[in-house]
Amino acid sequence: MGDRWKVTVDPRVCVRTGLCAASAPTEFKLDEQGQGRATSETLPASEEVLEVAESCPIEAISIVDADTEEVVFPPE
Amino acid sequence: MTTAQPPLYWDPFEAELAKDPYPLYARMREEAPLYRNDRHDFYAVSRYTDVQRGLADWQTFSSARGDILEIIQTGMEMPSGTLIFEDPPVHDIHRRLLARVFTPRRIAQLEPRIRAFCERVLEPVTGADRFDLVEAVGAEMPMRVIGMLLGIPEADQATFRDRTDATLETGDGGRIAQEDILNTEGFQDYIEWRKKHPSDDLMTELMTAEFEDENGNRRTLTDGEVLTYCTVVAGAGNETTGRLIGWFGAVMARYPEARRELVADPSLIPNAIEEILRFEPTGPFTARYVTRDVELHGRTVPAGSAMLFIQAAANRDPDRFDDPDRFDIHRVSQHMSFGVGAHYCLGAALARLEGKVAAEEILRRFPDWEVDWDGAELAQTSTVRGWKTLPLVIRGA
Repeated sequence: MGDRWKVTVDPRVCVRTGLCAASAPTEFKLDEQGQGRATSETLPASEEVLEVAESCPIEAISIVDADTEEVVFPPE
Repeated sequence: MTTAQPPLYWDPFEAELAKDPYPLYARMREEAPLYRNDRHDFYAVSRYTDVQRGLADWQTFSSARGDILEIIQTGMEMPSGTLIFEDPPVHDIHRRLLARVFTPRRIAQLEPRIRAFCERVLEPVTGADRFDLVEAVGAEMPMRVIGMLLGIPEADQATFRDRTDATLETGDGGRIAQEDILNTEGFQDYIEWRKKHPSDDLMTELMTAEFEDENGNRRTLTDGEVLTYCTVVAGAGNETTGRLIGWFGAVMARYPEARRELVADPSLIPNAIEEILRFEPTGPFTARYVTRDVELHGRTVPAGSAMLFIQAAANRDPDRFDDPDRFDIHRVSQHMSFGVGAHYCLGAALARLEGKVAAEEILRRFPDWEVDWDGAELAQTSTVRGWKTLPLVIRGA
């Protein structure tokens, strides 16, 4: 697995809890609509980012490996 | 001559209106998108976009004084750790401690245990030709699940549930007593006991989880905070989910065609639960405290006002949902019943799972029923809407 992740928030699912930006302000921010998004194209792979994705109550966040395109979260 | 409509008046405390509030909500969306009630001194919005924007805007519409109209109006001090009565950033710090436990994936792992509880509560009524769904399942199953999560011994779980239900029950026109809303009596003893007997439950996790507080100090929660957390989780998880199960029974009796579809194809159940949540939300509205003057529909809502966001009205906004008063288990929708923004229901995944499991197990045992509507009774509370008793008459029993 590579050390960079491509992290996306699905705007159709996101209900603007703001939890991602509150938990990891370096990796996530809120846009003008209050929806979460990653602060850059790719993020360094980390337990913290994975935990943010897992803790999103509607699982609006998905993670793929930036090099291999392999799905990191959600599993399956 | 046209028949004049009676003047638009909505009283959230009135029992009669709670029976079928939807025609009135439709008028509010249409005629008074910013509704003002002088008698009870509050404003209300009912359109989807207004509810969605407002609930997400915690800077303007604060939870720090509570999310229940009569509690906001008392101006009572809120203890730390209530979550539902806090704003970011303190709210987010406190919520993160619980969020790990309530993630959709961790909740999904509980399914076999939740199903076992459900099977157990259904056992006594299996084969019956009539039973009260609320008494048998709605009041029992969520209590067992929350009790298991918190680590409360089974013998004592009913005492906690009954205390919350009694607090929320208000009677026609009644209010919640402020001294009752965060009554933590009872949990105190468990916290003392749990400290000496740690387990893999939520209470233990809350007592031991280290976090950085709003002042930058690394610490664990105080006993008082753990106590408040547990009270809030137990209170929020019992009654609301119980009422969801009640609505399942009621709505399925009203729409037998949908019920037959679910019996034939249980994979449709999760989406049907979403539609029941949209159609008959157990928490029809949420109150917030207005922190600054705000313009809405050409009027100024002054700072210091109370604002009610009527999610049950937003859920039937024709600008958002096609044919909104039609119950359709195939509808794909994003309803407002779990809220939006920072206070999006922490237990949403758990409620959905409990609703799904209850529906599966009930339909498997009782594919066909009617409700004895004369014997059914709506619970009267100013916060939660649902059945207090719902006698099912089983067909083909």
